[in-house]
Amino acid sequence: MDPFEEHLKNALRREEPRAGFAGRVRARITVQEKRTRRASWSSLPRLRWALGILLCVGIVAGVSYRHDQVERARGEAAKQQVYVALRLAGAKMQLAELKVRHLSE
Amino acid sequence: MGSTSVAESAASAMSFEELVEKHQAMVFSLAYHFLHDRAAAEEVAQDVFLQLYFHLEEMDSPVHIVFWLRKVTANRSIDEARRRHRRAEVGIEAAGDPASPAAADEWVNLRLRRLIASLPERQRMIVILRYQEDLEPVEIAALLEVSVNTVKSQLQRALILLREKAGVEKRA
Repeated sequence: MDPFEEHLKNALRREEPRAGFAGRVRARITVQEKRTRRASWSSLPRLRWALGILLCVGIVAGVSYRHDQVERARGEAAKQQVYVALRLAGAKMQLAELKVRHLSE
Repeated sequence: MGSTSVAESAASAMSFEELVEKHQAMVFSLAYHFLHDRAAAEEVAQDVFLQLYFHLEEMDSPVHIVFWLRKVTANRSIDEARRRHRRAEVGIEAAGDPASPAAADEWVNLRLRRLIASLPERQRMIVILRYQEDLEPVEIAALLEVSVNTVKSQLQRALILLREKAGVEKRA
């Protein structure tokens, strides 16, 4: 190393920070750890709220689905009644047609 | 530290404090010589050790810790300088003659530190790692994640610039 570089080495020698540095670092770690713990616990009430809302939505969805099922079943039954009525009407028509033919003969 | 992993031996708060005390001068000085501001340097140094605490289990060995500390401090210091748009202006100051040889040495050191603080960021950090930490270009390259040739050329340019500036002040 030349003399100028030696000067640079001298100018850049290590220096200590203010006394108590390690203690200040420890204090920051403690604060950070408390923050981290608080953040994980503070999410619990929110979690409860979210679960409650989900439960309500689930109940409403279930009731709505059951209502739909009942309505569909009623609709099917009504449809079946119409089919039976149409068939009966059809059979009666055929009978009336036969009678008319017989009378005209 | 022998065969015991650093993470295990540093598990207790006391061990970590010893780790801080062992490396605080290195970390603080890297930041201070780069930022030329003691308060900013202390803030950076605290951040670095805080980060180390939460990454301790990733450390393989004492050598790894030193490498990690230098690397994170270098990056944090550069980020801090960019955030503050910090680049110390060095004027040709009309300085009086120092009273004693010891004061003269300190005067020279102060001037050199100011000149170093006025270098572009990458050159500045390379100079600090070379002359404060005695690192070879290949080690600096690994730390800063640049090529060895980049380190060598930047170091050469920095030295030329510093010699010129120091030379100008001498003539004045």
